Amino acid sequence: MANTLLSVGIDIGTSTTQVIFSTLTLEDLGGRFTAPNIAITKKEVIYRGAIHETPLLNHSLIDTQALCALVEGEFRQAGLAIGATDTGAVIITGESARRENAAAVLRQLSGFAGEFVVATAGPHLESRIAGQGSGAQAYAQEHGLRVVNFDIGGGTTNVAVFDCGKLGATACYDIGGRLLKFTPQGKLTYLSEHAATIAQAAGLRLRVSDTPSLADLRALAEAMARQLEVNVQALLTPNSVLLFSGGVADCIYRTGHEVFAYNDFGVLLGQAVRNSRLFGYQVLAPQETIRATVMGAGSYTTTLSGSTIGYTRADLFPLKNLPVFALSPQQEQDAFDHGRAESVAQALCDFVQQTDANCVAIAFQGKPSPGWQELKRLAQALQHAASHAQLAPDVPWVFLAQHDIGKALGLAMTPHAQGRAVITLDGIDARQPDCYLDIGKPLMNGQVVPVVIKTLLFG
Amino acid sequence: MQDALVELIVQAILEAQSNTNKPAQVTPTQEHRAPQPAQVTSARIGVGCAGTRLRTDTYLQFRADHAAARDAVYNDVPAELLQQLNLPEFATQCQSRDEFLTRPDLGRVFSEQTGNAIAAHNASPCDVLVYAADGLSSKAIAANLENILPVITESLTQQGLSCGKPFFVKYGRVASMEQVAQLTGAKVVCVLIGERPGLGSAESMSAYMAYAPTPGMPEARRTVVSNIYSGGLNAVEAGAYVAEVLGRMHREKKSGVELNEG
Amino acid sequence: MNLTTTLHGKSFTFRDVKAVLACANEEKSGDQLAGVAAQSSLERVAAKQVLSDLLVSDLREHPIVPYEQDDVTRIIQDGVDEQVYQEIRNWSMAELRHFLLDTTSTEDMIKRVCTGLTSEVVAGVCKLMGNLDLVYAASKLRVPATCNTTIGLRGTYSTRLQPNHTTDSVPGVTASLLEGLSYGCGDALLGLNPVNDSVGTMTEILKRFEQVKQEYAIPTQTCVLAHIKTQIEALKQGAPMDMIFQSIAGSQKGNEAFGFTTQTIEEAQALLKSHGTSRGPNVMYFETGQGSELSSDAHYGADQVTMEARCYGYAKAFAPFMVNTVVGFIGPEYLYDSRQVIRAGLEDHFMGKLSGVPMGCDCCYTNHMQADQNDVENLALLLAASGVNFAIGVPAGDDIMLNYQTNAYHDAAAIREVLGLKPIAEFDAWLEKMGITRDGKLTELAGKPELIFGR
Repeated sequence: MANTLLSVGIDIGTSTTQVIFSTLTLEDLGGRFTAPNIAITKKEVIYRGAIHETPLLNHSLIDTQALCALVEGEFRQAGLAIGATDTGAVIITGESARRENAAAVLRQLSGFAGEFVVATAGPHLESRIAGQGSGAQAYAQEHGLRVVNFDIGGGTTNVAVFDCGKLGATACYDIGGRLLKFTPQGKLTYLSEHAATIAQAAGLRLRVSDTPSLADLRALAEAMARQLEVNVQALLTPNSVLLFSGGVADCIYRTGHEVFAYNDFGVLLGQAVRNSRLFGYQVLAPQETIRATVMGAGSYTTTLSGSTIGYTRADLFPLKNLPVFALSPQQEQDAFDHGRAESVAQALCDFVQQTDANCVAIAFQGKPSPGWQELKRLAQALQHAASHAQLAPDVPWVFLAQHDIGKALGLAMTPHAQGRAVITLDGIDARQPDCYLDIGKPLMNGQVVPVVIKTLLFG
Repeated sequence: MQDALVELIVQAILEAQSNTNKPAQVTPTQEHRAPQPAQVTSARIGVGCAGTRLRTDTYLQFRADHAAARDAVYNDVPAELLQQLNLPEFATQCQSRDEFLTRPDLGRVFSEQTGNAIAAHNASPCDVLVYAADGLSSKAIAANLENILPVITESLTQQGLSCGKPFFVKYGRVASMEQVAQLTGAKVVCVLIGERPGLGSAESMSAYMAYAPTPGMPEARRTVVSNIYSGGLNAVEAGAYVAEVLGRMHREKKSGVELNEG
Repeated sequence: MNLTTTLHGKSFTFRDVKAVLACANEEKSGDQLAGVAAQSSLERVAAKQVLSDLLVSDLREHPIVPYEQDDVTRIIQDGVDEQVYQEIRNWSMAELRHFLLDTTSTEDMIKRVCTGLTSEVVAGVCKLMGNLDLVYAASKLRVPATCNTTIGLRGTYSTRLQPNHTTDSVPGVTASLLEGLSYGCGDALLGLNPVNDSVGTMTEILKRFEQVKQEYAIPTQTCVLAHIKTQIEALKQGAPMDMIFQSIAGSQKGNEAFGFTTQTIEEAQALLKSHGTSRGPNVMYFETGQGSELSSDAHYGADQVTMEARCYGYAKAFAPFMVNTVVGFIGPEYLYDSRQVIRAGLEDHFMGKLSGVPMGCDCCYTNHMQADQNDVENLALLLAASGVNFAIGVPAGDDIMLNYQTNAYHDAAAIREVLGLKPIAEFDAWLEKMGITRDGKLTELAGKPELIFGR
């Protein structure tokens, strides 16, 4: 029985690339007298890689070859064979995500990093995992508070709100420490397009090869900090607790850095954030600063389904990159009440055509405690819709409920499936726009499956 | 630094962002209210006080919840429900609710006459027999039985197992399953029984199961799934899970600790 | 030794000392279930009559389980002060009762005599006491104990704050914890019954307890009541632990059914000495309750009061910080109604005091018993008047995890005010400092943890 998963996290950021390995421990918290309740109870980092510069060929291309070598080197350092990992995430964040060959890089890396390693990116996910890696979520959960995490990296600032540990809003802004680069003497060597726009609009004459005045640079940094303040105001309550992670966080919590110590804008930006009104809130130190995102990628992207689920055969897994089709509340209600699904069937057909996917996941909320008759009606409606989608006969139907009805729904589906493989999972809320899903092989005597929900996918 | 200049720059950034289809994505999910402590526990906290004592509303709520729990223990399962589910009722040797509560030994055995009736109800031996008993909460049976029974039957049928005809035992304890097994010759027996109610809910039910139970067998031979109700594991999902466990017991010819050990 | 008497013209003969003790017991459904209870009210009184003439030595020489078979018996018998015993061995049980009730018998005199008593003697004299006798005699005695702080001094009434949670959620437990403190609860203990008996769970909770205790400088002690073996493991792994808990029974067989032996307790004690976070010397916490031996068929044909007394005799050997009789938890097949529960609570407290252990009582009931909140309020008040060391406090009386009811957080303040009792001195000072009480009375901050503890 697999009680631990080896997980890899690879973060290709604007300025740095990092790799970590961690073990995720699965435990049945249900005890001897209840149905199983399997959860990831421990996340232990077993190897922290070095902080590498993200290798670039030029400003628009990542050096794929160098990057692969770098990651392979980390596997070797950790004493792990390539492909030994059970799960994990390769994520490409900040400005790196906008490089021309970002998608190709992700695909290549996920190819050799193991059976069930997802390649992913997207600001929503980045914000979430940075907040998990920094410890913001855990703190919110433990103290029953709203905690807001700011992950300020090289190219972007990712904001995530956690209410008692539950993810609320996320946001992403183009504010980061590497939007400008300097020589140790303060000569400007790089000005990102975005930073240039701001500078120009502000009447600041910043030009590569010049040495701008410290006052001008401070004005720019202060403005960026104000920008953050203004944007996040709606997310903050008087009792909110703030955490800062990312590379710039070190310049926020600790003072006394040389202005151009890192040949970039990070120290100035950090000082400006420290002097901003954000520090009028209660601010705590994170567990991780620059490594928060990679920690989150390695330890928090994998979640588990509910512990009572249904599937016809274990060899249906893993399933990768399933686009998620979500029922509207009204459609769901109709299905429960009348076993009807005409509008679902049509919308699902369109969805399958649009996504050009051969397998899709159909997501809905379900009910916390449904009656057997209404569950049978739901099953009938879903069967009707799924048949209309005309998926290839060897492709399983995949259903995702948020509430705990997976195993019972599987039972109700079986008479309708006409021999087709059916997977009915619960404990998963995948009803988000542009959502994709990876499902791994069953674990813990086949009682749960690992699941990764992605909000944006290349290719 | 002059504030005017800062404002100017902020404006510039905002403009720059709105122009470059930026991921300045804010997903407002919940209202921006600080979470209340009551969200983290169902304990009766934040109730205030009247001097050193409970406030009247807190006091009456407590009394109401206790009254409901008492009713769940002392009231009978409605006859209409049993009729609707087509379940005959058999009583153990307890003569009253009071005797049932103080004499656990009598709540597990039937008179000869009742025994014969149970045997006649399930005249031919079956693979799995599922029945219900009031135990310590009639409300638990009223709340869950209607939904859990058909799910279990559906699953057992899909598994190709023969199901006994269900019935209801009044004044029944868990260990009534021993005599039921002897009377019916069922290989696997499952009793769905009301749990001792708390103030939070009186609707919690348990499923106790055993392979070929015999009187005097160790408790370790029993498998139990507890906490079956709308606030725990809901009845239909519980039914699907319980039926799977029953199927395993039948296949592996064991139950309880032995079953867990694989 | 005479085991026969005539009452109202009817002759009664009892088989042996065990039968006398059982029949002399006040009516208990558990004794009826065990088949050892008196068959009639008259037989009950006849047994009391026979018992009153038995000598201390008769009871000592007829332990419920033979010395050779049972380490509980051995620990009790070996613990007797032989010199004191020689002085009183020929006292009849009636004489012993008179001595305990005599207004000239001081606390020191009674405590000295108690060192010569075995648990069967303690149980025997208990059966000759009315409820007010039990209150009066027990009120003469105080059995203080010291872990981080000292509880049980005259004039104090303490509580174990019990912030249980259905899933052991740390924030959930914390919310209940702060609420309880805000009513002045918790001077005996901050103690949680975990759902999950695991090292991980209990360590997390203990760390939170320790954090709260440190942050607000609360003079008290903490415990998570997992199985003793789980606690030993947690302590070995470095969890901050002031004491170790275990449920105990009145026979070795009963203790084995609970999954431990005397060696386990000795190991726990030794480990606490080297790794524990408290000063001590009292670092064990035991829980008991009439009827637990019968439920594991470890009662050897004895009644539940006598088996309960043996729990205290056994506990005494380990100098515990707290012994808690969870009096109404076991159900109506052992204690049928509030009358039996209240009687049992008074008996247990009295017997614990005579045995020399620091007694507290979880005045509680389940929903399938003929009892309600009024009854546990009565019992708490009676026990506070008897000088009990502590009772329990849970949010508004409802324990959401154990699904039973006990005293509310609110009750301690009311009882203290009514009877002129106080929390222990350090805790009292802490309550005043935090603004929870002013001159010993709850202030307007009571029940408002958010104002007291910030945020």
